[in-house]
Amino acid sequence: MKQRGRGIACMWYPIGFTVLANPSAAVVKVNEDGTATVLTGTVETGQGSLTVLGQIAAQELGIATDDIKMVSADTDTTPMDTGAIASRTTYVTGNAILLAATNAKEILFEVAAPLLGVRPDQLEAMDRKIQVKGFPQKYLPIGEVAHQAQFVKGRPALGSASYNPPTVAMDPETGQGKPFSTYVYATQVAEVEVDDETGEVEVLRIVAAHDCGTPINPTLVEGQVEGGISMGVGLALQEEILFDDDGKQINPNLTNYIMPTSLDMPDVEVEIVKNFDPTGPFGAKGVGEPTSVPTAACIMNAIYDAVGVRVTDLPATAEKVLKLIKEKKAAEQKQISA
Amino acid sequence: MSKKAKSATKTETIDGLKTAAEGAQLPSVSRIEEHSLLPLTPDANKQTPAVGQRTTRYDARPHLTGQTMYIDDMTFPNMLHMKILRSQHAHAKILSIDVSEAEKMPGVVATLTGREIPVNSYGPSYQDQPVIADDRVRHHGDPVAAVAAETEQLAKDALEKIKVEYEPIPAVFDPLEAMEEGSPKLHGETNVYASKVIKKGDAEQAFKDADLVLEKRFSTQMVEHVPMEPHASIAMWEADGNLKVYSSLGRITLGRADMARTLNMPMSRIRIIATIVGGNFGGKNEITSEPILALLSRKAGRPVKGVYTREDEFMSSTTRHPFIMDYKTGVTKDGRILGRTVRIVCDGGAYCSWSETTLGKGAILSVGPYNIDNIHVEAHAVYTNKTMTGAMRGFGAPQVCFAYESHMDDIAHELGLDPLEFRMMNAFGEESPSPTGQVLESVVVRESLETASERFGWKEWQK
Repeated sequence: MKQRGRGIACMWYPIGFTVLANPSAAVVKVNEDGTATVLTGTVETGQGSLTVLGQIAAQELGIATDDIKMVSADTDTTPMDTGAIASRTTYVTGNAILLAATNAKEILFEVAAPLLGVRPDQLEAMDRKIQVKGFPQKYLPIGEVAHQAQFVKGRPALGSASYNPPTVAMDPETGQGKPFSTYVYATQVAEVEVDDETGEVEVLRIVAAHDCGTPINPTLVEGQVEGGISMGVGLALQEEILFDDDGKQINPNLTNYIMPTSLDMPDVEVEIVKNFDPTGPFGAKGVGEPTSVPTAACIMNAIYDAVGVRVTDLPATAEKVLKLIKEKKAAEQKQISA
Repeated sequence: MSKKAKSATKTETIDGLKTAAEGAQLPSVSRIEEHSLLPLTPDANKQTPAVGQRTTRYDARPHLTGQTMYIDDMTFPNMLHMKILRSQHAHAKILSIDVSEAEKMPGVVATLTGREIPVNSYGPSYQDQPVIADDRVRHHGDPVAAVAAETEQLAKDALEKIKVEYEPIPAVFDPLEAMEEGSPKLHGETNVYASKVIKKGDAEQAFKDADLVLEKRFSTQMVEHVPMEPHASIAMWEADGNLKVYSSLGRITLGRADMARTLNMPMSRIRIIATIVGGNFGGKNEITSEPILALLSRKAGRPVKGVYTREDEFMSSTTRHPFIMDYKTGVTKDGRILGRTVRIVCDGGAYCSWSETTLGKGAILSVGPYNIDNIHVEAHAVYTNKTMTGAMRGFGAPQVCFAYESHMDDIAHELGLDPLEFRMMNAFGEESPSPTGQVLESVVVRESLETASERFGWKEWQK
């Protein structure tokens, strides 16, 4: 018979390297038509990070995402970056790009201020305009200011900056220290169906509530969560590299190494938990890795809720779950007969 | 004054709806008033402010239309293809390697063995991994020789002609056995190559004070990242003597440093260009075959491409660490956690890679997002003669989260508490001290528990 169960798991996860420096540097060039080009050494690995970084630069310059051209990942032409690792890109590279954009913007303000008859600190960049704070009727289009900066004042609006998350080294004896600048938090809840005659587990539904600080792009946050959950389902139920007695892998191929396909995916419902981290770019932290952290745990707790067995060794294959169910039944019978 | 008036008119053109004829006007720097910015439309990519917009990814169109260039799509004139011969043993001395028969094959242009690599070691924490094994193999995925040939098939055929003489030595596959004194050693005197301790308060005293103490062992398996695009690179030497590498690396800055080290040449002469990567998940954070491609390319005087097969990917790239975790927790009757000890043994495989850092992160996170005053965590990374483990999405966290959250449910059941309530009771709040004593900020554990359980319908849920 199929038995239903629910399970919950929460987690915390840091952004950036453990104590070690992991800087990012960036260059932001405002072009003379008011668009901008960002140079970054980070690598787009399919998660959409370049789009998120473009949005950060656009926000600071008061222009739109499509007004940004991202140039990335060339050791000769782009500034150094620690790379797409440790869920750090939005936070660390994002902060570097934000600072570089601020520097470029300062030049625009200095050029625009006399034209608008105010001080640079009275200006803001918004809706593709450099405008007077509290008096938005008084403005210049950003393209005109950038053009003036380059061709009239001879000061191209260019900014460069770097960022490294602040940490405090850990004591080698006790581990006490501040290894990370910030952390994210999340909870996932799973609903499963366990066939108590075969041990097969089907994950029906996962609700995932993730904190990432400000979601720079909610669609890409949701995409990360869905992808992370698919990896979590694989870790929980299916995937395992197996070795023979001589230490040779026996399933180094996708025929015998079983990964979740779209048919194995539960319904995923994503909630972005409201949060704002003042140390992140526009309050953002990160989301990449944490998405796959609590999935296996909540599925194991749901299996326990469904059939009363505790899987202590991943993955929870049908064979393993069935064995535990049989052991539990045998123990119960023994108890009754005793 | 006229300047201001002029710009005001212009902005109307930018912000307002343009007629078809105006929209078709080409951008022109000389006529900046009608510059290339498109009108603001409901399209998220054209909206300000940009943050928070559900914009379409810059690479959406090329991805969707199949036009994204991955390494495997790239080709250069006279480009050769590389294949790697891997070890036949989990642990053995290499007595000799004979590539002469392979070199005689038509279409084979160059071969490479470990002795030809200027500095044959690399690794992010310890440089314990050879680019190509030269005197000893430590797992079945170790490369022992490489071939560059006119086609992939010819390179693959040539591998069969390479003769390697091995002297097998005892191997160890179980991390707990590997920790024992008499076990076969992979590098140096001990297989334990990294240890981490986190200590706060007095966990033993907490267990004495507790109403209930629960203990359990949890373990996890080895898994692969399985990116859709396997590791792939192309190396070529330019006329000015500089090296250019197109790579699927996720960390080009580190990649260049490792290349400079292994090839013993200045960084300024190495250029690494990463393409859009077809999935990384932590598996492409360090060099793999890039120095091999560079050296084969130098020997052949032609560009050389290397794309891992799926089998290469499984056998020789990094994987997720299997963890063995012993948890012990003391609680009061009403559900307050007094103390927790955690002992982690991390199966590091044949080389360190990112194990040292994975171990550290796993140890810090292993206690869970809970306020516990008395903590003792002890974690060790251990060499075994298996596929090396390294960085993978979560860096030790999925393993420890599986353990601490399973353990939390077990405790809740023992105490007759609702698992959600038990977590709410103990979860970190704003300014909670972490296990390492850090004052935590922007903490939303409880909020995430509430949000997820409400959306799920935790309270109303029935079997």
